[in-house]
Amino acid sequence: MILHQMDENIARLSRQLERLGIVVSVDWPVLETPVADAKFIFFDGDKTCDGIFPWPAGEAPVPLVALLGSEAPGRLEWVQQQGISAHMLKPIQSSGIFSTLFLAQSNFEISKQVQQNINSLTDRIAKRPFVLHAILEIMKRCKLEEEAAFSILRSAAMNRQKTIEDFCASLDDGAIARLVRAFEKQKNTRVG
Amino acid sequence: MNLEIPIGLLYSTTGTYKAMGCEALDGALLGLHEVNNDPTIPVSFIPTIENPDASIENYRRMCEKMLRQQNCKHVVGTITSISRKEVVPIIEKHDALLWYCCPYEGFECCENVIYLGASPNQQVIPLFRYLIPRYGRRGYFLGSNYIWGWEQNRIGRELLHACGGETLGERYLAFDDVDTEHLIAEIREKRPDFIFNNLVGTSSYAFYKAYARAGETDSFFKPENCPIVSCNLIESELPMLGTDAGIGHISTASYFDTLKTPASLEFRQKVANKYGANRNVSSYMVTGYSSVKILAAAIVEAGNGDVEHIRQVLFDMSFDSPLGNLKIDARTNHASLHPIIAEISERRDFRIRSYAEEAVSADPYLVDFDPVKFADSVNSLRVAPSPVKVVK
Repeated sequence: MILHQMDENIARLSRQLERLGIVVSVDWPVLETPVADAKFIFFDGDKTCDGIFPWPAGEAPVPLVALLGSEAPGRLEWVQQQGISAHMLKPIQSSGIFSTLFLAQSNFEISKQVQQNINSLTDRIAKRPFVLHAILEIMKRCKLEEEAAFSILRSAAMNRQKTIEDFCASLDDGAIARLVRAFEKQKNTRVG
Repeated sequence: MNLEIPIGLLYSTTGTYKAMGCEALDGALLGLHEVNNDPTIPVSFIPTIENPDASIENYRRMCEKMLRQQNCKHVVGTITSISRKEVVPIIEKHDALLWYCCPYEGFECCENVIYLGASPNQQVIPLFRYLIPRYGRRGYFLGSNYIWGWEQNRIGRELLHACGGETLGERYLAFDDVDTEHLIAEIREKRPDFIFNNLVGTSSYAFYKAYARAGETDSFFKPENCPIVSCNLIESELPMLGTDAGIGHISTASYFDTLKTPASLEFRQKVANKYGANRNVSSYMVTGYSSVKILAAAIVEAGNGDVEHIRQVLFDMSFDSPLGNLKIDARTNHASLHPIIAEISERRDFRIRSYAEEAVSADPYLVDFDPVKFADSVNSLRVAPSPVKVVK
C-alpha cells in the first residue's frame, strides 16, 4: 500500500514492487484501501501530517516505510514519531527496494518482539510486591528462611504454569493458608 | 538513411577475469562488424572501446566518459556484479541502457539494464532439477569467497532442503587460492552425492585436478559416482582443467558451442571466419554478440537509438539468436533463455545432456518459484542412482 501522490517515483516503485510479486495500491491524499489488506505501507514523508493514519503515532500494525525528499529536521522528527521500520530517499531507484522491504519487515518484527518483552517485564515488575508479600507470609507461617519460602511459591507457580508474579498476585489469604497446610503435611510425611 | 549510433563496449580484457571479458568483447565486436557491414541494416555503430583492467575506479570513469563525451546511450559491458553495480547509477543518471551478458546471482532488476545472462532460475534450478533425481540430495558446496559463490550456494542449499536433502559441507576459498587438498579430505570423509562448485578461475582448475588425482586411488571421486557440477565453466577454460580432469563432470549454461541448432552452427562458422577455426565459442561470446544484434534490430524497429523508443519496441520483439529464440520480458528486463545441461566429454568439449526446448523466463527474485512444487517434481523424477553412461 502506497500513500503518495502518483508520479514518476511512485510509478517506478510500483513497477519494482510488482516485480517482487507484490500487489500494489496507491492512495492519496487519504488511505482508502483497508489497512487489514496491507503487508507494508509506504508513505510520503514530505507531505503527510498528524491524523493521516487511523492509529496512534508509533502503533502501526504493519511496517511503515517513509519516502523522503526533504531531510528537514522537523520532517524527520515527525516521520520518526510514526515508528517507521525503514525509509527510502527520493528519487526512487529500482535498486534498494528489495533490501528496504527485507529490513523493514525484520525491523518491524524485532521491535514488536522487543515491545512485547518490555510489556511482559513491566507487568512482572508491577507485580513484584505481591511476591514479596507472599514470601513474607510463608516465612512467618511456616517458620522458613526466605529461600525456602520462595522455592515453595516457585514450584506452586510452575505447577499451575504461571509466572511467579501472576501466581502471587492471585493469592488471597485462604490460598496462602492452603499452601501452608500442604507444606506442613509434606513435612510430617517426610518426618513420619 | 543510415543511423549512426554511438555504442560503448566496456570489458576488462586484462586482469583477473580477462578470459570472460575477451570472450564477451569479441562477441560484441563480431556483432558490430556484421551490423556495420550489412547494407540491409540501416544502422552504423560507432564504438568506444575501453578496458577497465578489472579496476572499479576505471569502470566508473570510463562509463562516465562514454556517456558524457561520446554521447553513448547504449553500453555493452561489465562481467562481475561489483562492476555492474558500480556503473548502474551512472547509467541511470544519464537514462542510458546497459546491456549485460553474464550469468549472475539475480536479485536485481534495474530499468536501465537489459539482462541477457542467466539468473538463478535459468541455471541453478534447472541444474538441480536434473541432478537430484540422478545423483541424490546430499551436496557438498564450494565457492570463491564473494557474492557469486555465497548466493549460488544459498539458493542451492534451499533447493536441497526443499526436497529433504542436506548440505554436507560448504567451504570458501580466497581468489587464486589453489590449496584444495583439505577439501578433498573432507569430501572423502563426508561422501556427498555431488559437488556444487562455485569456485572461479585458478582455484576451480586446481580443485578439478586434485579431484581427478583422488579418483586414481578412490573410485568414489569418479564423476559417475560423485560429479562436480558448475554454472560458470566455459569452453576456453576446459584446457586449463588438465588433461583428463574435467571429463564426465557436469555444467550448465544458456549456450554451449556443441549446440547443433542451425543458428548455433552458423554462428560458429562466423566466429571461425573472423577469429580462426580454433577459436572457442562460449555463452559470453554469444550473448555479447546477441546484445549488439538485438540492439540493432530494435533501433531499426524504433527508427532511432533513443532509450525511450528502444524500450517501447524491444519487449514486443523476438530475436532468432544462437541461444535460441529470445524475448526480453518487459516485467523484468531479462531475456528468456534455453538452459542446457552438459557433460565434459573425452574431446574436452561439452556433450549436451539436456536442452530446454521451451524458453524459460527469468525470475530474478524467485517470486514465481515454489519450493514445494520443485520438491514434488524432483522427487517424482527419481531415477537410477548412477547415470547411464553415454558411449560414443
